[in-house]
Amino acid sequence: MKKEDTVKLISAEGFEFVVHKDAAMVSQTIRNMLTSPGGFAETEHGEVTFPEISTTILEKICKYFYWNLQFASGKQTEFHIEPELTLELMMAANYLHT
Amino acid sequence: MTVLRSREIAPPKTTPQGPKTRPKSDPSTPAETPESVTTTTTTPPPLNSTPSSQSQSQNPNSNPNPKATDSGSATGLLRRRSLRLASKTPEGSAKRNTQIDEVGFDLFGERVTVMGVEKRAEELKLGSGLDPVTRLSGKGSGFGEEEKVGVDEGLTELGLSSDLGVLGGNSEEKKKRKLDIDINLPAWECEEEDGGSKPFLSLRSGKRVAKPGVDGVGNGEWVIDLSADKSGGVKSKGECGRGERGKGKLGENSIYVVVLDSDEEVERSGENVFQSDLPSGGSSTGKRKLSDAIEIVVEDSEDEMSSGENGVNEGRRKYSRQEKGKEKLVGGALLSNDDDKVELGLGLEVLSSLHNVVPSPTQIRENEALQDEMQARNSNRRENGRDRNQYMERFRDIARQNASRFARFDPREEEENDMPPQVDVEQDVEDWPGPFSTAMRIMRDGAEKNMQEQRAYTGKTKPALVNWVPKCQEQDRAISKNLIPSLQELCLSVLAMNADAIVSLESVPDALRHQLSHLLCDSRRMNTHFFELLVQGSPTEVRLRDCSWLTEEEFTKSFQQCDISNLTVLQLDQCGRCLPDYILNSTLARSSNCLPVLTSLSLSGACRLSDVGLGALVSSAPALRSLNLSQCSLLTSSSIDTLANSLGSVLRELYLNDCQSINAMLILPALEKFEHLEVLWLPGIENVCDDFIKKFITARGHNLKELILTNCINLTDSSVKVIAETCSGLCALDLVDLHKLTDSSLGYLANGCRAIQTLKFRQNSFSDEAIAAFLETSGECLKELSLNNIKKVGDNTAISLARHSRSLHSLDLSWCRNLTDEALGLIVDSCLSLKMLKLFGCTQITDLFLCGHSNPEVKIIGVKMTPILKDVKVPDPAAGPLHYSSISST
Repeated sequence: MKKEDTVKLISAEGFEFVVHKDAAMVSQTIRNMLTSPGGFAETEHGEVTFPEISTTILEKICKYFYWNLQFASGKQTEFHIEPELTLELMMAANYLHT
Repeated sequence: MTVLRSREIAPPKTTPQGPKTRPKSDPSTPAETPESVTTTTTTPPPLNSTPSSQSQSQNPNSNPNPKATDSGSATGLLRRRSLRLASKTPEGSAKRNTQIDEVGFDLFGERVTVMGVEKRAEELKLGSGLDPVTRLSGKGSGFGEEEKVGVDEGLTELGLSSDLGVLGGNSEEKKKRKLDIDINLPAWECEEEDGGSKPFLSLRSGKRVAKPGVDGVGNGEWVIDLSADKSGGVKSKGECGRGERGKGKLGENSIYVVVLDSDEEVERSGENVFQSDLPSGGSSTGKRKLSDAIEIVVEDSEDEMSSGENGVNEGRRKYSRQEKGKEKLVGGALLSNDDDKVELGLGLEVLSSLHNVVPSPTQIRENEALQDEMQARNSNRRENGRDRNQYMERFRDIARQNASRFARFDPREEEENDMPPQVDVEQDVEDWPGPFSTAMRIMRDGAEKNMQEQRAYTGKTKPALVNWVPKCQEQDRAISKNLIPSLQELCLSVLAMNADAIVSLESVPDALRHQLSHLLCDSRRMNTHFFELLVQGSPTEVRLRDCSWLTEEEFTKSFQQCDISNLTVLQLDQCGRCLPDYILNSTLARSSNCLPVLTSLSLSGACRLSDVGLGALVSSAPALRSLNLSQCSLLTSSSIDTLANSLGSVLRELYLNDCQSINAMLILPALEKFEHLEVLWLPGIENVCDDFIKKFITARGHNLKELILTNCINLTDSSVKVIAETCSGLCALDLVDLHKLTDSSLGYLANGCRAIQTLKFRQNSFSDEAIAAFLETSGECLKELSLNNIKKVGDNTAISLARHSRSLHSLDLSWCRNLTDEALGLIVDSCLSLKMLKLFGCTQITDLFLCGHSNPEVKIIGVKMTPILKDVKVPDPAAGPLHYSSISST
């Protein structure tokens, strides 16, 4: 993947997830961070940190991003969520506006 | 610089092509226009022909951005619609006798603003009267409108000619009228002239139309005077040249006087004008159908006249309009010349000044017919001034007669722009002046006209014709983002399935709690466990949509764990089972003021709650702003008294649906004590009658934002009238099942409640035209509209919806069987914000619409079998406790 169209999402524990920009843009919050003209550090470096989202949750979120793109392109499958993750995942999703 | 004056063109043979200023509005046939665009001024303007023309222009209007008129009709049919253009009257132009109308046209993609200016008769010495002078004014404000007009109608061309005439409205208010006038003027003139000579009268201006200074000129050809101003001058010259050219044909036509302002603007507009020339092809004159010859009077900016009445920008262009149809111009312009560069384009900019003539709107319609006649007369020579004078007199008389009919402006123009006319609103039941009535009139006239003439109009006037073709296949339609399940939704559904496994809802925001709670209630999975999770700790908001599973003991037990001191919102709907009076003492009404910050309380379905219990409740929640007592069937009017006494100054929302023991007239005194009531729901209450509404609304209706009168079947139009007059801030209105209402109600609402966002009709007997007219006047802010079972809804409504409902996101057209696939397709493709469309009972809908519409966001329910529970309106979980104000506002 080229450097230009990826972003790095960093979890609370410091894990870094490198994903496509399109995938990250599924989240309205991330989209705003990356595209707003405010000169955010995120825009410049292409890195977004989430100090309150844990690694497992963030990983699941990245999976959701790709699932979303896949759904939009026509291939519509089921997205399984482990119940124990669900509550936190829901709150993270609420925060990320996704 | 010298002001070029148009002068009379010599008799046909000899005269050079007179300044056949093409009326702006008169877009020659496409073939012509391009040619005309290129036409150049051949010879120096005749000038000096008529000093009067100089004096004519009195209204200096600057034209910042002249807009080219649409050359429009390929067929050369003049469309009267251009009146609309004229409707944008320049605000400033209050000249003494002049009225300025601004008309913008799109011509070859250029917009020319044409302003009609009324000329003082005395000033124009031409002929017997004033030359109609059109003025080009660049009113910024007008532009937008013009554009709209131009774009909308694409009329352009035709409209221009006749429309250009408009001008002058007697007052700004009458802008629209002006357009009409223009259009009509020519019409008349055509009629008058049947015989032969064509008075140049600027059709529009009616009386003022000065027979082109052509006194004495047989054919009354006008010479275009162009101010010698630098840039403008140049162009003008070209124009004048036209006049000069007058090869022959001109003779036939009236003389066009074109006075171009030397202004830069003028220049600009001049350019536009020039470009929008009428096509030079003489042969195409017939097609051109210039309804009026437009005289463009360009005045030197130094002209005293220009000073000022309008005070608007610097230059102004005056155009005098000739009645002669385009043909004349074209003929003249094209005269013998190959170059035809009749800058008939100028004609486009020609604004005829209107005086008091206000042709009746119907005349507009007739204009077209007249246009045809004009063509026939094409080759007629104009008579000499003497005849013209007679004509002018006649026109003046006609104008005088008709002026009174035009107390109101023509609504048609208004339809295009959303500018409400400044008309005095007479609150008479029979007569609703204002945008609504004008819109209605247009509809009706349009319908008649349609029937008479079978024109191929599209748009409002053609109810039977909705142009829409399916544009895409269902599979091609892009999958809307809204249809992809969001992660939040997915999580919620998983949680709902496994609610018993949830251990704690701590740190879950309220909005998510509400969503989860609603999901559980809907799927009947709500139980004590989750209830306790919700009330654990010190919650701020607890919402349960359905407490029918909850028993008294469970409720008491669970609720006792709750620290209610922070509770701001409590919703316990369908709590009849668990909330009798005696429970309150241990739960909600433990002590006085135990719910200090409770703002919103909903106890709908509390069928065991009596007046006493309510009293206790109210004493423990003194800050209550919203109280929902729907279906509390034991409550009587004394409970409302209690409410009024303790909460009269704070209560904003009161829901009394189906409180069967409450009598509206008995609670009237109590209701009048509420000082800030914003939301009032009254369905199912006994005795909600006109009298009640009148008294309550006049007493306390000013703050009302939401009024729900479902099923209060005794109400009639007079109630709606009172509501419309008093509740100007009304945002939501529900008139479901009020079958006594007639179209007058819509009229009142259109004139009175301008900010309505949610409107629910069902089973009312409104007509298609009335609804369409209402949408035209008030449709812009509508967000939700229900026309369920309004049987007469048809194409008119569809067209109005498509045009004016940009913000609509929810539409209910169930049981409207007169709507075709095409109508629905038009609606869905044009209302880009539409998210939900209900079509229950519309058996006439086929896949042509369902698969062919190109709006990916809209969800259509009711036609195919789809789950609908989640589409039922649910309160927005993120919304605050109060619908229309924030808690902090006291």
